[in-house]
Amino acid sequence: MATHAATAEGHATGAGHDEHHKLSFIRTYIFSTDHKMIAKQFLLASLLFLLIGGILAGLVRWQLGFPGQPIPFIGSMFSDTTAPGGIILPEFYNSLVTMHATFMIFFAIMPLLVGVWGNFLIPLQIGAPDMAFPRLNTASFWISVPAGILMLASFFVEGGAAGAGWTSYAPLSANPEYSGVHMGQVLWLVSLIILGFSSLTGAVNYITTIINMRAPGMTWFRMPLPTWSLFVTSWLLLLAIPILTGGLIMLLFDQTIGTGFFNPATDGEPLLWQHIFWYFGHPEVYILILPAMGLVSEVISNRARKPIFGYHAMVLAIISIAFLGWVVWGHHMFQSGMNPLLGTSFMISTIIIAVPSAIKVFNWLGTLWKGDIHFDVPMLHALAFVAMFIIGGLSGIFMASAPVDIPIHDTYFIVAHIHYVLFGGSLFGIFAGITFWFPKMFGRMMSPKLGKIHFWVTIFAYNAVFFPMHNLGLRNHMRRIYDPNSYEYLQPLQGLNTFISIAAFILIAGQMIFAFSFFYSMFFGEKAEQNPWKSNTLEWTAAGHPPGHGNFPGGTPHVYRGPYEYSSPESNEDFLPQGVPPEPVRRGAVPREPGFLPTGD
Amino acid sequence: MLGTSEIRGLLASSLVAVLLVGCGGGDSAENAPAATETAAAPAENPVDAATAGNIHGTIKFTGTAPKAVAIDMADEPTCQTATGGTAVIEDVVVGADGGLANVFVYVKSGIDPALKFPVGPGKEIDQQGCQYHPHVIGLQAGEQLTVKNGDPVLHNINATPTTNRGFNRSQPQAGMTFETQFASDEIMIPVRCDVHGWMSAYIGVTSHPYHSVTAADGTFSLDRLPPGTYTLEAWHEKYGTATQEVTVATGQTAEVTFEFDGKVAAEVPMGPVLLVDMHNGTLRRTTTLVQQ
Repeated sequence: MATHAATAEGHATGAGHDEHHKLSFIRTYIFSTDHKMIAKQFLLASLLFLLIGGILAGLVRWQLGFPGQPIPFIGSMFSDTTAPGGIILPEFYNSLVTMHATFMIFFAIMPLLVGVWGNFLIPLQIGAPDMAFPRLNTASFWISVPAGILMLASFFVEGGAAGAGWTSYAPLSANPEYSGVHMGQVLWLVSLIILGFSSLTGAVNYITTIINMRAPGMTWFRMPLPTWSLFVTSWLLLLAIPILTGGLIMLLFDQTIGTGFFNPATDGEPLLWQHIFWYFGHPEVYILILPAMGLVSEVISNRARKPIFGYHAMVLAIISIAFLGWVVWGHHMFQSGMNPLLGTSFMISTIIIAVPSAIKVFNWLGTLWKGDIHFDVPMLHALAFVAMFIIGGLSGIFMASAPVDIPIHDTYFIVAHIHYVLFGGSLFGIFAGITFWFPKMFGRMMSPKLGKIHFWVTIFAYNAVFFPMHNLGLRNHMRRIYDPNSYEYLQPLQGLNTFISIAAFILIAGQMIFAFSFFYSMFFGEKAEQNPWKSNTLEWTAAGHPPGHGNFPGGTPHVYRGPYEYSSPESNEDFLPQGVPPEPVRRGAVPREPGFLPTGD
Repeated sequence: MLGTSEIRGLLASSLVAVLLVGCGGGDSAENAPAATETAAAPAENPVDAATAGNIHGTIKFTGTAPKAVAIDMADEPTCQTATGGTAVIEDVVVGADGGLANVFVYVKSGIDPALKFPVGPGKEIDQQGCQYHPHVIGLQAGEQLTVKNGDPVLHNINATPTTNRGFNRSQPQAGMTFETQFASDEIMIPVRCDVHGWMSAYIGVTSHPYHSVTAADGTFSLDRLPPGTYTLEAWHEKYGTATQEVTVATGQTAEVTFEFDGKVAAEVPMGPVLLVDMHNGTLRRTTTLVQQ
């Protein structure tokens, strides 16, 4: 039975009380222990890194679309060691590719999904006053800040930023003589080691909070799917991050004190790095998609005004994906010379993952079937998530099959796949989440007109960028190449590369619409109602945008039912909040004003 | 009011930020030692021209000259066309009269350490036809080296010194140049192109201007030395080193002859060379190239 008990720390910091002494500016906005403020800090920081990652992607696409030509407008800003006269040098190109992926994966998508929504939604959706460890929560954000600064600083050290790819394969990453980058690689490693502690503290907090602080009546199978997916993701983080951190420390020793864990020149084993990296890396893939699946499930059920199809199956699918995610890492290494029998086992386990993934997709479609679909901005992004995830999932099946993977390995087919999952999946899920919960975060609605313009520009430009990459890959266009024209057989593909680059510039420019709408709406958007989406989950019944410190002014709410009771025959409205007791429901009175919920305390 | 813990937190985060900002701009530090040295160098040559002497000499090859090895540039048609398919490995170049070219000759000892010389006017190394021109180059510590790409193909210039700071930079287009210096003396610094495995050059750096590279006929000259006795060393990438004592008299030119008999040296002084063995995919770091 779920119980709610504010922790001693929670009480000590004021969490759990609806009446607070006024906190200083520093305690309110900088070193806040309020999970909602920390979520906003993660949101703004990771959106900044999303922008930086996007700019780096633009530079990469400039080189591929217009190889050897000076970067327009800003080319003169670059140094002689990066882009003299605006012409991108090969070693700078390596850094651009590496840092684009690093920023996007570790500093944008991960915190946007886990840092933002884990912090914002978990306590609100389970009816808790705050996280179990509010100070640890503050530390989680502030630990990530020096990690980000170190990573940014690596652009300015001698030799430039790391250039061994986000996978940082050894021995290229292990010995500065091979890549020409030493300090940049060291900073990359140190930054990610530090960031790992941020993720770990967050994961411990989320797990503890969900296990111990659910409101009365919030049983495991009454938890909203975003919270479920964040719970499972937190376990993945807790178990996967230490593996990466261990590998990073070994690699750091190879770089700095001359150990030879991964360098064959000193009897090291480069394959060991690949095993360590991908043993972390594949669960990481699910860390990057499971929370988005949770957000999208919430939005689809709400905007289709139907209960989520197969709630229990959805939960079990999340858990299954998380379990299977630990036994598939070898599919990244089919080309490493592994025993074909072992390769076959990885192939089969990978293909099995398609089963729970397909369950989720069919359940989303089942939820939409005959639903009262509202095509507003969060829903558009959620539907795009489903469609793009199907494409990304199907191309994943190609790679899961070892005989097919061999010819497409290390080609642009892989680039297409990862972007269909990470952009088409995760980022559309993030957009769905931001546009859906924006009113609860900031008390105002985002502009639907700008939101739709942003969505349609994004969905068209995104597909124009990434779908042709499948074609490039099938024509053996290597994924890591500075100038494709240096190979005669790739020269006919230059037109397609140029087209992709132009579409990429439109895609990046389109995100400025979102940025404008985000900040404009924060201050000038239409004021939001208490429950603008007529949602059932507890966060919408907590008074305030966002709720004050302590979340539920009247005390801990009671939960009487699951989170997706839309169009329920028990109510004459098309929604039935989790906290409304059965008795008033039978009378058909679903109040809408703040503070209406009876409490269990 | 800020509490003590908040002030501590602010101070700590500010310190981290300041330290990190301080890490920036590392690129400009690359040339800092050389720049300092250059700034300290006098404008005038301290050696009195009226009393100075010269060393002129020849490097003779007394063995059987190995047959020149042609370079297969089929992988780089642009260079293949530019050279007309006539490019050869330049490790041993013997002139018609037996003179050995591409030998770096320098005064190894005997220079008065109190003498401070002006830094030389700078040298250029060009990449033409997928070969370095010149193949061996002498620099004074702090002297500017201009690296130029004369080919319309991508070259990667990877210098791997032992005591100086190395560099590993690319020049993807014809006409690109960059400047660099080496801060201290070093014999010799290998230079390789990671794209074209046959490209190699060597840079000798001395703290004084008394160095020379032999011409096609094996001759060299070192001018305006103060009178005295010096140890002269001749360095060849394959045949190693040879030394001689030379006395320079006031206003005189000392004649010197070195002989290399064609015996390959077991070890040649030079910085580390990174070799990629394409047959078994391993990387080797060596100071000896003779097994190539």
